Amino acid sequence: MYINWQLRELNLKIVYYGPASSGKTTNLEQIHRRVDAAHRSDLVSLKTYEDRTLFFDFLQLELGKISGLTPKIHLYTVPGQVRYEEVRKLVLRGADGVVFVADSAPLRANDNIIAWHDMKSHLRSNNLSMDHTPIVLQCNKQDTLGAMALVEIKYMLHVQDLLGFPAIAVNGEGVLDTLKAITRGVITKVQHESAYA
Amino acid sequence: MKKSNSMASAEVPSGLSLSPSQDQIINRILRDLLEKCPAQFILLAELSGQIISVQGETGKTDLIGLGALVAGDLAASQEIARLTGQYQHAQLILREGPETASFISEAGDRMVIYMRIHKEVPMGWARLIIQETSRKLAEVTSMPPEEVEKIDLQLSEDKLDTLIGDGLDSIWHE
Repeated sequence: MYINWQLRELNLKIVYYGPASSGKTTNLEQIHRRVDAAHRSDLVSLKTYEDRTLFFDFLQLELGKISGLTPKIHLYTVPGQVRYEEVRKLVLRGADGVVFVADSAPLRANDNIIAWHDMKSHLRSNNLSMDHTPIVLQCNKQDTLGAMALVEIKYMLHVQDLLGFPAIAVNGEGVLDTLKAITRGVITKVQHESAYA
Repeated sequence: MKKSNSMASAEVPSGLSLSPSQDQIINRILRDLLEKCPAQFILLAELSGQIISVQGETGKTDLIGLGALVAGDLAASQEIARLTGQYQHAQLILREGPETASFISEAGDRMVIYMRIHKEVPMGWARLIIQETSRKLAEVTSMPPEEVEKIDLQLSEDKLDTLIGDGLDSIWHE
């Protein structure tokens, strides 16, 4: 988070985390597609030759003035492939909130669990507490045959209390709900921290 | 939780928070660097890539994207240095091209600075002056942001999260 008091700017960093091919980049592509160009930056993507995320994708949203504030939301994805573990840790640095994008296909259940624990470990190594970092679960690819339901994935990850949304990100379904939920979570956390500073 | 009106005047504990006076000093330091070096342009960002200040001729450069990439570049280079046992504070990343050269350096533990110069500028001088600037910038952010108390950032707005949610709705096209 970066605050410029002169400009009344509140800059927030939200990271989309999850296993490989779960739809993290797709979320940002849908946001980029559905938000008016005046309110977003270009989508920056650092990809491999095979069109997979190498370092991160990045998109900034500008909401204009809200109650005297100018919130700017910086969205990042991590590369999901196993070999990029060090990169995921770097991208999580300074995150104000995290969206965990799970793949709802039953065959990917174990990948979701591994990625979840990987995320917890990297949050800790960045001095970010799981208890104080807003996290929203998105269960993507709900159109997959036999897709696991939101409640099943929550149970599997032992996060029954976590706010979550079913999604088919490729169609834009659940993308805005997820984005709104994590943004609200981060704002609430900022307000809470301000109150007790 | 009851939120008092005075809470807006409190410093937010995590992240980087710059008061108007700090903002002005930072801009003055960067303008000084731009002139003394001389640099073509300078970008200062928070470590996660959020832009703090830009000075000089930026042309059509996508500054928002550049901020994220500069921060990513620094983070990756620091990690490479750690993995290979070469990490030191205030290391510089230098890229030399045929016409221009660019430096990336951490500025304290919260910011990263990017500076592009023409090849005619002596490298030794540029290296020296960007390191000195980084040190000054780090000092500025370690100062207590005394003027923050005079500003109401309206973080106390009870419905701020709802308003921001509505803001997202308003820019969204199905």
